[in-house]
Amino acid sequence: METINIPISSLALSFLLLLIPIAISLFLRLNILRSLLYSVARMAIQLILIGFFLKYLFEYNNPVVNILWLSVMLTTAVFSAIKSSTIKISKIFLPVFISFTISTLTVIFYLNTVVIDLQNIFDARYLIVLSGMLLGNSLRGNLVGIAAFYKNIRKDTKGYLYRLSLGASEYEALLPYMRQSIKLALKPTLAAMATMGVVALPGMMTGVLLGGASPALAIKYQIMIMIAITVSTIMSVVLTILMTIRICFDKSGILKQNVFSSSNIHN
Amino acid sequence: MIRFENIHLSFGRVPVIENLSLKIKRGEKVVVLGRSGSGKTSLFSMILGFVKPDKGRILFDGTVLDDQSVWQVRKKIAYIDQDISLGSIITSELIDSISKLKVNSMLVFSKERIHNLLEQFELPLSILDKYTQELSGGERQRLAIVIAALLERKVFLLDEVTSSLDKHLKEKVVDFFLQRDDITCLISSHDPQWYAGNSVKIFNVEDKKWKQ
Repeated sequence: METINIPISSLALSFLLLLIPIAISLFLRLNILRSLLYSVARMAIQLILIGFFLKYLFEYNNPVVNILWLSVMLTTAVFSAIKSSTIKISKIFLPVFISFTISTLTVIFYLNTVVIDLQNIFDARYLIVLSGMLLGNSLRGNLVGIAAFYKNIRKDTKGYLYRLSLGASEYEALLPYMRQSIKLALKPTLAAMATMGVVALPGMMTGVLLGGASPALAIKYQIMIMIAITVSTIMSVVLTILMTIRICFDKSGILKQNVFSSSNIHN
Repeated sequence: MIRFENIHLSFGRVPVIENLSLKIKRGEKVVVLGRSGSGKTSLFSMILGFVKPDKGRILFDGTVLDDQSVWQVRKKIAYIDQDISLGSIITSELIDSISKLKVNSMLVFSKERIHNLLEQFELPLSILDKYTQELSGGERQRLAIVIAALLERKVFLLDEVTSSLDKHLKEKVVDFFLQRDDITCLISSHDPQWYAGNSVKIFNVEDKKWKQ
């Protein structure tokens, strides 16, 4: 089945749809016009640029270049995950970077070698595209997970100190907060899996189907990617929490206040 | 048993404790007095390693308290706070989770013992099925005492533990701690029941002197 091409002029027509949110924004005085137009423009420009870049990346398909690009993706994902965190970026960049790298690479190399059985496991078409999907979801999971973990401990400082006073080890005292935040981080992924196919056709499957592949193949890829997303999200959230604990708590198990951005110190 | 040596503590630029020395012997029951903000609660927090003195040192059983030794010290202490946070959990699950801590692996939290302690502090057995946040301040305080008793620790840090109790229950709690010779207690309280007998020593943190 041939995918119908969309000429640039027709694509431009899709922007006309934006008149609806613009009208809603004006009517309800939502005051989101600026951010809406900025986000749409940024998305379009980024995708156009990345389109050219991926074309070159797929054609060239050099393992070193692919790995370098993966590093850029990792760095960007880590920055996005921690930029709105209450913890100073300089303190948690490295642990989150290591956590994202381990979780993404473990899953991606397993997929590329064992499941897809690629000749070249660094093939850009798989390495870059699949890593992007995993990183995007790890990012969302970590945004929720790290924020919830530290927010809950700070909110329940008395409860945490009570557990320490009982003689709990650091791990034992932190475990309830870890459980809460990991569950919260996984919630969207688990909910998405539970409704997949019935409520919505996921992005990757839509892409593969529009690309002309059979529904059977699209479904196989989708099942694989959903399992991979769940695994890499849970791995990265757990690793991030475990690694940031080393930095954010002192040796007697007390949360350091100087790791938080000053504007958030009383949150 | 517990020794504070020339302790200085400040929060930011505000000095809270200046040059305090205090020695508590094994088996003693010491009540610390002082106005609010005079550093009574900070004494408890320092023993547990929650705040660190700017100067001076604390010894517990002869060991200087530091980031490493404090983990062992916490295992020997039962701490009860006036406004204890027991989280949002069913009471029986809370007790169960505390019994599962590694430090308590040798202890048996038998049903019979839990029930006896609940009865002793006039808590209904139905409390075990309630969520901790449903409990009143007084019930929470007594539940924390029950949990502390289950832990079989020999040192108790009691920070206003009778503040939400009526006179009759205050006496019950005071008797429970003061009548035991095998435990050491550091107590902060405004309740006169704690000073009624001769078994307690009273230390004023403001003038840093024992009260006769």
